[in-house]
Amino acid sequence: MTAVPHEEEAPVRGMWRQGLEVFVENRLALVGVGLFVVLAIFSFLGPLVYRTDQVHTDLAKVFLLPGTEGHPLGTDGVGYDQLGRLMLGGQTSIVVGLAAGLLATVVGTVWGAIAGFAGGWLDAVMMRVVDAMMSIPALFLFMLMASIVTPTVPMLILIIGAFAWLGPARLVRGEALTLRTREYVMAMRGMGGTGGRAVRRHIIPNAIGTVIVNATFQVADAILYVAYLSFLGLGVPPPAANWGGMLSDGLSDTFSGHWWLLYPPGIAIILIVLAFNFIGDGLRDVFEVRLRRR
Amino acid sequence: MEAANQPLLRLRDLSTDIALRRGTVHALDQVNLQVGQGETLGIVGESGSGKTMTVLSIMGLLPTGGHVVGGEILFDGRDLRGLEDKELRRVRGVEMGMVFQDPLTSLNPTLRIGAQVAEPLRVHQGVSKAEARERAIEILRRVGMPRPDKIVDDYPHQLSGGMRQRVVIAMALIRSPRLLIADEPTTALDVTTQRQILELIDDLREEFRMAVILVTHDLGVIAGRADRVAVMYAGRVVETATTAELFRSPRHRYTEALMRALPESAQPDSDGAGRLYSIPGLPPDLSRPLTGCRFAPRCQFATDECRTTDVGLTPDGSGTGHEFACLHPVTGPVTIAAASPSVRTASEVSDPLLTVRDLVKEYDAGGTGVRRTAGRVSAVAGVSFEVGPGETLGIVGESGCGKSTVGRIVAGLEAPTGGRIVLDGADLATLDRGARHRMHRQVQLMFQDSYAAMNPRMRIDSILTEPLEIQQVGDAGARRARVSELLDQVGLPRRALERYPHEFSGGQLQRIGLARSLALSPRLIVADEPVSALDVSVQAQVLNLMRDLQRDLGLSYVFISHDLSVVDYMADRIGVMYLGKLVEVGPAHQVVRAPRHPYTQALLDAVPTPDPGHAPSPDTTIRGELPSALNPPTGCRFRTRCPLAQDICATEPLLQGATHQVACHFPLREEPPAS
Amino acid sequence: MTRYLLTRLGQALVIVILVTLITFVILHLLPGGAARAILGKEATMQQIAAFDHQMGYDRPLWEQYALYLRRLVGGDLGYSFQLNQSVTEAISQRLPKTMLLSVASTVLAVVVAVPLGVVQAVRRNRWPDYTINGLSLLAYATPIFFMGLMMIILFSQVWPVLPPEAPQGFTLAEVLADPAGLVLPVVTLAILTVAVYSRYIRSSMVDNLNENYVRTARSKGLSESRVIVGHTLRNGLFPVITLLGMYLPALFSGALVVERLFNYPGMGLLFWQAALKRDYPILLGVTLLISVATVVGALIADVLYAAVDPRVRLRAGRA
Repeated sequence: MTAVPHEEEAPVRGMWRQGLEVFVENRLALVGVGLFVVLAIFSFLGPLVYRTDQVHTDLAKVFLLPGTEGHPLGTDGVGYDQLGRLMLGGQTSIVVGLAAGLLATVVGTVWGAIAGFAGGWLDAVMMRVVDAMMSIPALFLFMLMASIVTPTVPMLILIIGAFAWLGPARLVRGEALTLRTREYVMAMRGMGGTGGRAVRRHIIPNAIGTVIVNATFQVADAILYVAYLSFLGLGVPPPAANWGGMLSDGLSDTFSGHWWLLYPPGIAIILIVLAFNFIGDGLRDVFEVRLRRR
Repeated sequence: MEAANQPLLRLRDLSTDIALRRGTVHALDQVNLQVGQGETLGIVGESGSGKTMTVLSIMGLLPTGGHVVGGEILFDGRDLRGLEDKELRRVRGVEMGMVFQDPLTSLNPTLRIGAQVAEPLRVHQGVSKAEARERAIEILRRVGMPRPDKIVDDYPHQLSGGMRQRVVIAMALIRSPRLLIADEPTTALDVTTQRQILELIDDLREEFRMAVILVTHDLGVIAGRADRVAVMYAGRVVETATTAELFRSPRHRYTEALMRALPESAQPDSDGAGRLYSIPGLPPDLSRPLTGCRFAPRCQFATDECRTTDVGLTPDGSGTGHEFACLHPVTGPVTIAAASPSVRTASEVSDPLLTVRDLVKEYDAGGTGVRRTAGRVSAVAGVSFEVGPGETLGIVGESGCGKSTVGRIVAGLEAPTGGRIVLDGADLATLDRGARHRMHRQVQLMFQDSYAAMNPRMRIDSILTEPLEIQQVGDAGARRARVSELLDQVGLPRRALERYPHEFSGGQLQRIGLARSLALSPRLIVADEPVSALDVSVQAQVLNLMRDLQRDLGLSYVFISHDLSVVDYMADRIGVMYLGKLVEVGPAHQVVRAPRHPYTQALLDAVPTPDPGHAPSPDTTIRGELPSALNPPTGCRFRTRCPLAQDICATEPLLQGATHQVACHFPLREEPPAS
Repeated sequence: MTRYLLTRLGQALVIVILVTLITFVILHLLPGGAARAILGKEATMQQIAAFDHQMGYDRPLWEQYALYLRRLVGGDLGYSFQLNQSVTEAISQRLPKTMLLSVASTVLAVVVAVPLGVVQAVRRNRWPDYTINGLSLLAYATPIFFMGLMMIILFSQVWPVLPPEAPQGFTLAEVLADPAGLVLPVVTLAILTVAVYSRYIRSSMVDNLNENYVRTARSKGLSESRVIVGHTLRNGLFPVITLLGMYLPALFSGALVVERLFNYPGMGLLFWQAALKRDYPILLGVTLLISVATVVGALIADVLYAAVDPRVRLRAGRA
């Protein structure tokens, strides 16, 4: 009895390697990574090269046009250098986005996993809480919270993270419920394996893909939320800055012709949100393809 | 057959490509076929042979990326490839009809039955709504639908699988097509339903004088229903002949191998166990350029010439239209089921390894949320049997009979509602936690779909090590050694360890699944439909392997399957289940050749045999549908469909007899005296 | 079906009660306590004590909650000392206008998104699909107020055909009297919705186009358009009904931003003004009401879905 394996042996490749290949195949995902890297370098390493004063206002230098000596992107209404401010604002947007997205994902995953595994009463109660919080439109909640506490960067992360976890919670619970009934979990129980092992070895590794993909979209959403809060007047107060805040400040300047205060932060937000969406789509491909049979 | 000289449909050098993201699959390569008015052409082949692609090419239903790239499709003398779109749709919509494999998904779930059935009339003939409805009722009645005037307003999910397939057939017939194409029309159905559907297609062919193309992987279905057969392999027709001729003297080596691989043609070997002929290897990858005979790499008669020359279909010279593409054809006849059934001598009078007594399993019906008084589903109702050491007990029955539930309970995956299970002298109900945990070393489960039963993110080495880890057997080194040993036992290379499940074929996955079941050196393996998803040639490989391992390791099997011929081949004793009850149990050869229960008889008669001369008796057909397990019939559960049922059947018959037991008030035969 | 309705209704009720619990908790988290937050910084200790007593804030918490619920049921959402108006009154003036904005933009979004999603699904992985997909991603990534501003610049400045500000009016009729002013707010809110809907419709249609029943329909010789319109479109659009319900929270969030941008006199604007002035009775009242609207909307969507889709209708009816 001879079993002839595949005619030509495909090279043995690890899962990460295979995943990377699929990811690289999605050109938009690469663009997403590229965009993110460029924007991150611009925001975090930029200030090391291009030094500006973003603390003290300089009322002698307000609304300077782009291209003015020393201010390639001009200055804003209180004399901050716009290019330097974009870098500073990028730091806040990226940090808040990543941190809030991460917080939401972690909280949501834990909540959803507990509800999904426990089932029964606990599940019903936990999910009704999620339903209830989800039926309060997020921006209303954020504003309500922001009107109670003073929005600082950590506070923003906390507020957004505290309400954005509902989506991941629902998602993870659904995953847990379906994964629990998979045949490989049944096979493991047939070997005498326990529920804990099912969670550790089978359910988490299979749910992690969905969670990671969702996390990237959470980051994108969090960045948008920061922008909305700033627009609604409850962003981080100056001298701190974020792209959303700069963009909403820029709105009022548009009609006076100060276009350089509007478009750069607007485009920056669009690019970073797109970047995370592209990355998310690419990761989804990776996790789906790995499961697809041949 | 009189019209065969003027074929209704003729394929000439039909080639079809399917463009995928990575490369192009040459699904069909110069296929030549023909079918005449009133004739049934069977197309047989394994998965990937192109049989389905052939009919989809004819119907213009190729999947995304699929295109006919060469040849002609001559229907009534006209090449369909040359027709303009509208005319083509009319020809396909009016003159052809198609029946698909999966009746559960081939109907639109949100449209009423009548609207779907009558749609071709409405579209192509502009029939009024009221008339269309009348015609739909009429045709539904013709395909044997009970209460067609009511069903016409139902939605598909309100019907059973067999009923839905009748609807699909009605939909194909309402246009009075000249050609009916049935692509695996009964593969998703139980044997008794399969028989009803195949008979219906036969009757209708005569009545409507249609040409029929019957696509199937099952040689038995072909033998009983087709006038002529085309055997396909790797995108080509390798042999075509009249059915009688093909089964009497196949010429192509592949056809021969296919027939020899059937469990029915097992040849007895030294220990009387019988061995199946198996085709080594896998079909070729059709996305690569191929030269020579495509079967050559797996053929034991292949020569260098086979690998280099492309052989076309050539007539055998007899003038009967028997053509084949083989340089070293079979010369003698091939016999199926000729060898006398091997009577396996089960180990006599030893203590049973497994004893099941009055096993009961009930489920709550749809009990979510607010308490519902829907009742309880009786999945298993008082089943008792034993399995001896080294013995194989086959359990057969149709879907929903509870056979898988029995398997899962025995394997410790579900707790029974009632009854006792004694494994190796220990009653499972009385075991403490630790003993229950260790019990899993004794009994293991083997799944139908090993791919689904393996975590897709684990490599084969982790998959095989997992049972050892759970049961804390040995240290890391010992486990590695054990895993390597297992791979050797199931005949897979060590390289397999570093790979993931999706990199293996179905047959290989079943081997890995078997290796995993063996890891803990259990004494009993519960195999739930272990070969049902496999092609015949691969099925033979796995069955042989299971028997070799049983002999070498002294394993016991509970072998669960819907396929009587496979169970007949594998089992020492067979138990037949119907709606949660064991209705008959006895030595395999007796149950299969001299059944005592009417249901067993009906089941046996419904199985298509790969013997064109075999004609099932018409009076054993069971009609009607399986009753719901929610409110099963009282007394004998089969009585609602039994031709022999009398008043007394309302009281429950007990399983009676010495070795060949039956639960029936009117057994077909007396138990033969113990030899 | 009735059983399904009752279960779903019970669920919605539980959610509403939980929402009131959340707003109740927030009320007590307010800086300086509920009374000070409501009466304002200038309130004297006596005023606060009197107010606490009047509202029952000096009683045990569960009793306070019971009182709170009883007031809610009676339609009493509190009193805004800043507006010198009851919250119920303030909201009821603006609620119809917000509903007008939401409904109009949803209708517009559905009308646009359905054909887009269908075209994407039918021409999937070809240029129409890529183009539409790219545009909806772009719309999704653009902050809605930036998008709205672009619209104002385009249609009020560059090509001045529409007013940059929403119609100002006390009643719904006054707002409706100036339809031109409604165009930009409605369209802006709809663009984001279109981006979300068309993606969803695309995937729903793609799923359906891959179903076996589509092959059956084609085997009857139906034209491609008949296959899509007669078979897949129905099935693909049923789930969209539930999406309408699920999307409500995001829609209301969007409406908040749009109302602020175009100065549209709806609930969102009221809420925004209240947030800047820390007018907590209004903030809590609006939050509560908008949540209830969301729950009710989702309930209606689910029931509607169950009523029109035979798969759900019959399953729910049998169980």
